[in-house]
Amino acid sequence: MDREIAMMSHVFDWILVLLVLALAWRSLNDCDLFRGVIQFIALGLLLAVAWLRLRAPDVALAEAAVGSGLTGALILSALVRMRQRERRGVPASASSDTSRTLQSGTSNRSRVLIGALSLALLTALGWAVFRFSAQSSGLAVESLAKLPESGVTNPVTAVLLNFRAYDTLLEIGVLLLAIVGVWALRRGERPGDDLRERPLLMSLLRLLLPVLVLAAGYLLWIGASAPGGAFQGGALLAGALVLGLLAGLAGRFLRRERLLRTGLTLGVLVFAAAGLLALWRTGGLLQYPAGQGGAWILVIEAAALISIGLTLGLLYLGGRPEEEK
Amino acid sequence: MTASWSFALLVLGPLMAAALAFVFPRRGRGVALAAAGITAGAWVGLVREVMAGGVQIQRVGGWSAPLGIDLRADGLAVLMLMVTGLISGAVTLYSGRYFRDAHDLESAHRERYFWPLFLFLWAALNALFLSADIFNLYVTLELLGFAAVALVALAGNREALKSAMRYLFVSLAASLFYLLGVALVYGQCATVDLTLLAAKAQPGPTLWVALALMTGGLLAKAALFPLHFWLPPAHANAPAPVSALLSALVVKGAFYILLRLWFEAFHSLNTPAVAQVFGGLGAAAILWGSANALFQPRLKLLVAYSTVAQLGYLFLLFPLAAARDGGFLAWSGGLIFLAAHACAKTAMFLTAGNILHAAGHDRIKDLGGITHVPPISTFAFGLAGLSLIGLPPSSGFAGKWLLLSASLVQGQWWWVVVMLVGSLLAAAYVMRVLTRAFTRVPDATAPHPIPPVMEWTALAMAVLAVGFGLVARWPAELLRVGVPWP
Repeated sequence: MDREIAMMSHVFDWILVLLVLALAWRSLNDCDLFRGVIQFIALGLLLAVAWLRLRAPDVALAEAAVGSGLTGALILSALVRMRQRERRGVPASASSDTSRTLQSGTSNRSRVLIGALSLALLTALGWAVFRFSAQSSGLAVESLAKLPESGVTNPVTAVLLNFRAYDTLLEIGVLLLAIVGVWALRRGERPGDDLRERPLLMSLLRLLLPVLVLAAGYLLWIGASAPGGAFQGGALLAGALVLGLLAGLAGRFLRRERLLRTGLTLGVLVFAAAGLLALWRTGGLLQYPAGQGGAWILVIEAAALISIGLTLGLLYLGGRPEEEK
Repeated sequence: MTASWSFALLVLGPLMAAALAFVFPRRGRGVALAAAGITAGAWVGLVREVMAGGVQIQRVGGWSAPLGIDLRADGLAVLMLMVTGLISGAVTLYSGRYFRDAHDLESAHRERYFWPLFLFLWAALNALFLSADIFNLYVTLELLGFAAVALVALAGNREALKSAMRYLFVSLAASLFYLLGVALVYGQCATVDLTLLAAKAQPGPTLWVALALMTGGLLAKAALFPLHFWLPPAHANAPAPVSALLSALVVKGAFYILLRLWFEAFHSLNTPAVAQVFGGLGAAAILWGSANALFQPRLKLLVAYSTVAQLGYLFLLFPLAAARDGGFLAWSGGLIFLAAHACAKTAMFLTAGNILHAAGHDRIKDLGGITHVPPISTFAFGLAGLSLIGLPPSSGFAGKWLLLSASLVQGQWWWVVVMLVGSLLAAAYVMRVLTRAFTRVPDATAPHPIPPVMEWTALAMAVLAVGFGLVARWPAELLRVGVPWP
């Protein structure tokens, strides 16, 4: 019986590998950009399954929510905007130049060059992985040994918010930087308000939005002991925000500029302030007082959740919400 | 204890300032000035600890490597932090007027976004120089790259957007190559700490591939010939203070990581053949960049190509510093050269911004007749040029002299030839600008007046580029703290 199950999962893995490769190839080579994007979204979901098979459910959650869901929504909305521009006959800009290069494809010679380089890279990587000197388990043993001191029981959360919290602090800075950069570039376009005309969809949203927000909070809470955490919860919150934007429910919220900016920076500010406070209390940067790790992590993650959700959701506008005075 | 606060404030000061400058867009300049004050204080505290007690290490979160992340300050890191602080301070003063005095309506918008992006860049640089962990270095590279790209795009015109887009693609691809290498290193050695890697890393196929990937990515970010193609358009089309930051500091971040990798973590893989390849690319960069600088029609493009050339000198450090004889000579020479170039290039780009502001263009052939109005700016350009060419007593001279002595001691005479030809070419392109600027044309158009602070900050950086050479003994002493070989 066990052998059959092992056999089955082996077959399943091979199908997964082939599907991932095929979808990756198709999403790069499809001459219809829209179809390419849909295949890219499907690819993200399959990758999430692959992460599950590798027994990394935290990564799988993040891949499904951010890699497939939000990235897919962003690329789709970019595609729609590009098409609208072309239909309106907006004079060629930097962005439509890019789209033309994408559509006409690169020249044959550069294709050969890129192909050769990729092949060389693949060979080198294959050789390197094949010659791995020892099957190393990385730092798994050390991190599990220190897990009880971290204040949480989910090892992924312990690494992200305690052992290597400094990396995460800077990463949350990268997220904030991303939205500052996008807002610096241009004004966003308000997504259409026409969903208000559809009562069925609106009543569905009325049910769905609170559930999404609740689920985001749940993921944050459960992250201490099981797969979940601020990034996964933030992605759900962002999904709720995108739905709200699409339905035209967030108009008034978008005009509160100071509030938005405070929410966006909350993660970085609270995290950095916690780092300094810990330094003052214990003499070590980001070194939480003994026994209080869980509480500190929860506060930091709650602030990060709000910022991550707002950042990923507002990126969907493709620019800053209102013209500032 | 003091060192802990210095570490924390050097990184978190500018980072929190960036967030605050975004929340309070009208207070950007004040926030940046406060950040400058905080980082200056933190740096002074740190340098005192390093001079008194040697290399300082901060175990973030109370965990030590390999589980946690170590921050580390040795002489090299402290020197880089000083250069970063000086240039960021000058840029803060300069930008306070630069964005306000621009002629178009968009300038208020630009200023609002300049401050948070600039402060992010500053935080990223400080974090990069203090990091002793190759994965943490990847995160700082991400921060640095995104901030740099967004700052280039801030110029807003078509050319700037195009070059920012190209810069983004190069920067992202390079980051991915670096990350791929880090993953392989972690798989092989089960640590990402620089010091632990130095003990664990043994030459083998996995590490060779990993190091090749990381080096390839970093060379693209450092714009070493032939991967320099993205640099001239990006640096020439950005707003002047941004060009200064990019040329003086951002490309050096990647170079710094290369030093940490090849001379520290993977010193066992740093063979003479590898070092000669780096040196060869550096020599090609010197010749190619200088020759191109000679023929550029616009001042900012000339200065940008000069950066391509000057980056080449830094890579001569690889073949010269690896040797036992005169290795430290080349090491300190290359790093003094780096500081000299950073100050000189800041002065040059700020001056180019002043000339653009005054004349409304930076076409070199039409520069005639503008000297009698902004003499300070022209003087600043001349002084900075002095350091770029490497004339005594400038710091450019001190750096080149040490590199030359090292190559003579080691009998690697071919680098001497390259350096001399490069200096002659630098003299030619600097003179090309100065001769234009000093010719008087009777019907010269009356230029726009330049705010004094913009002229004086450019001059101050030029004076530093020259004067640093007079005290070159001090950085050489500092660099001895924690030097990667005995």
